[in-house]
Amino acid sequence: MKERAIPWVFLLILVSLIAFPFIVALLTGSSPLGVARGDRMIMRGESVRWQAVLIEIFLLGILAMSYNLIFGFTGVISFGHALFFGMGGYTIGLLLEFTDLDTTSALIFGLIGGLALAALLGLIIGLVSLRLQGVYFAIFTLAVAEMFFIFFGRLQLTRAEDGFAITDLPVWLDPTQSRLTFYYIVLAVFVLTFVFIRRLVNSPTGAVFKAIRENEDRASAIGYNPLTYKLIAITIGGVFAALAGILQVILNKKVGPELLSVTYTVDPLLMTIIGGIGTFTGPVIGASGLHLLDTALREQIVTIGSTTIRVADSWSLLLGLIFIAVVLIFPQGIVGTWMRWRARRVRLSSPPKGAENPVQADH
Amino acid sequence: MLRQRTSWITIIILIAALLIFAAATSRNLGTFGITVLSGLFQAMLLFLVASGLSIIFGLMDVLNFAQGGFFMIGAYVAYDVHHPGGLIDMTGAIPNADLRFFLSILAAIVIGALLGAFLERGLLRPLYARPIFQLVLTFGVSLVLVEAVRFIWSTTPYSWTALFSVREGYFTLFEQQFSTYRLFVIGIGFFLIVAIALLLQRTRIGIIIRAGVEDSGMVEALGINVRAVFTLVFTFGCAVAAFGGAIAAPFLGASIGMSSSFLLSAIAVVVLGGLGSYVGTAAGSILVGLAIAVMANYSAEFLNLPVLASMTPMLLLVLVLLLRPSGLFGERR
Repeated sequence: MKERAIPWVFLLILVSLIAFPFIVALLTGSSPLGVARGDRMIMRGESVRWQAVLIEIFLLGILAMSYNLIFGFTGVISFGHALFFGMGGYTIGLLLEFTDLDTTSALIFGLIGGLALAALLGLIIGLVSLRLQGVYFAIFTLAVAEMFFIFFGRLQLTRAEDGFAITDLPVWLDPTQSRLTFYYIVLAVFVLTFVFIRRLVNSPTGAVFKAIRENEDRASAIGYNPLTYKLIAITIGGVFAALAGILQVILNKKVGPELLSVTYTVDPLLMTIIGGIGTFTGPVIGASGLHLLDTALREQIVTIGSTTIRVADSWSLLLGLIFIAVVLIFPQGIVGTWMRWRARRVRLSSPPKGAENPVQADH
Repeated sequence: MLRQRTSWITIIILIAALLIFAAATSRNLGTFGITVLSGLFQAMLLFLVASGLSIIFGLMDVLNFAQGGFFMIGAYVAYDVHHPGGLIDMTGAIPNADLRFFLSILAAIVIGALLGAFLERGLLRPLYARPIFQLVLTFGVSLVLVEAVRFIWSTTPYSWTALFSVREGYFTLFEQQFSTYRLFVIGIGFFLIVAIALLLQRTRIGIIIRAGVEDSGMVEALGINVRAVFTLVFTFGCAVAAFGGAIAAPFLGASIGMSSSFLLSAIAVVVLGGLGSYVGTAAGSILVGLAIAVMANYSAEFLNLPVLASMTPMLLLVLVLLLRPSGLFGERR
């Protein structure tokens, strides 16, 4: 692998994502800022609508990338990723709504506190449970996440199942007031996450992650302590998941136990597998593909014979079936399958020199 | 043998401690009786989910995360068959409520078995070379089952309204009314514990299964079609879980939450007993069932924290995994 620089394709995508709100605005004749009414902004028009879709994709992308770091690159299977996501969200929500701090410091402390809490949870969970092998670790994380879900679903302080709304956001951050600013904030976080995880996985530490995934005994035989590296992976993954949770709370201006529900474990798992496990672009492609499909199909009504089915009602069912089909038919995911196919073409057109592993590109 | 004996002693001590705690925190003999009875009731239902989970894991190294989903499906199918309306309306064809209940249990077993066979044959079999994907797949299937139920029967939980003879009966002890249905379920549960144990100990297929738990490669080398045994055991395990859901439904109703709550409790049972150990599963069910009932009583009466009761299985699971991940009867790994 001689090439470590960011390929030009990524730069092109980045530029088009930066220009995206304005391009949509130009094409549809709407304002990227929404419609002004008095001194407030109303979020109406194609441009702001599409900004919301992309913000969602970036959020899910961050979540999926963080999951991929743990599952795809280190080979540790966790069923409790929602814990980090939800606790990040709850931290910033609690600080904004239930303390006397002014908004700015609540936001700052919420951000720092949410990330720190996720790191702490990752460390504790990892320390006590990573010595458990595969299936036991999956069980452990599932149980801990479910415990938090039940606890916050009954906690009267945070209005139990209903959750509470965030009312105290500054205008510049409020996605219902200045969505364009929030779009760029989330885009920046998204790009930083992507670059960070790519750097980390391509670093010597990342090489050990992959070694552990491939063969834990061998990795420890050559002198690396797998526990330490798994701990690093799960802590960093947890911090990024919390970041996604914090942004999600600001986007929806609502905190509730659904943030801790198994949905936010399944979604990143699904997106990672569909996009391609252990690839950099896979989780992002999975996240955008699924979310775009979701937005496109949500309004549809399918009529088969005499029964009409609203797709929105059966979306989760559909998603689950897609998931099963992908696991069975192409477990490498979109990116993985494409890379294999390309590697085979390269092999066919030029005979291999030595026994190198061609399936390892910068995607 | 020595380890077995210490395990038994531990279990007896734990059960005794739970009973003493229950007695100490009950207001009178009546509430104590209710706690113990509902603990055993819970224990038997847990056993029906956990036994399949444990044997399947022991035999084919698959932890079936969809096992709780089969329990839930059993409850919904039994409810649907027994009550007017729904997908299948049998109230006109079979007016006798008892007979209809028997039929609804049968329907649940058949559907559980069919779905289980399909899951093993169609979905898990291609993945035996990739254990992580099997785990992910059964996790996915458990969600599909929940979503399918949500799609067919909507999200509103059902509570059982059409009564029948066993469900209606009561008996009085220590000036407290007890439902005969709980006793009925406990009786069935104990019967099944013994029946499955005999099946495993005394029949040829049971011997093959036990040998497979030890070393399935060796069994295959002896010329036995292990794959067929896998399918059989998986189907049986799922059918037993669905049966559990069906006999639980008259008391607990049918709801989507059953899937994850019974799955996690059953996993707690299996891990506590030692994955793959039948005796451990039976003993673990009784321990966990009693613990849930005792905690429910204690947290409602003294702590005013009902949330603790629903968190008990998870707490137990986390504790066991931390203190003794190999379980009471498992081998140390």
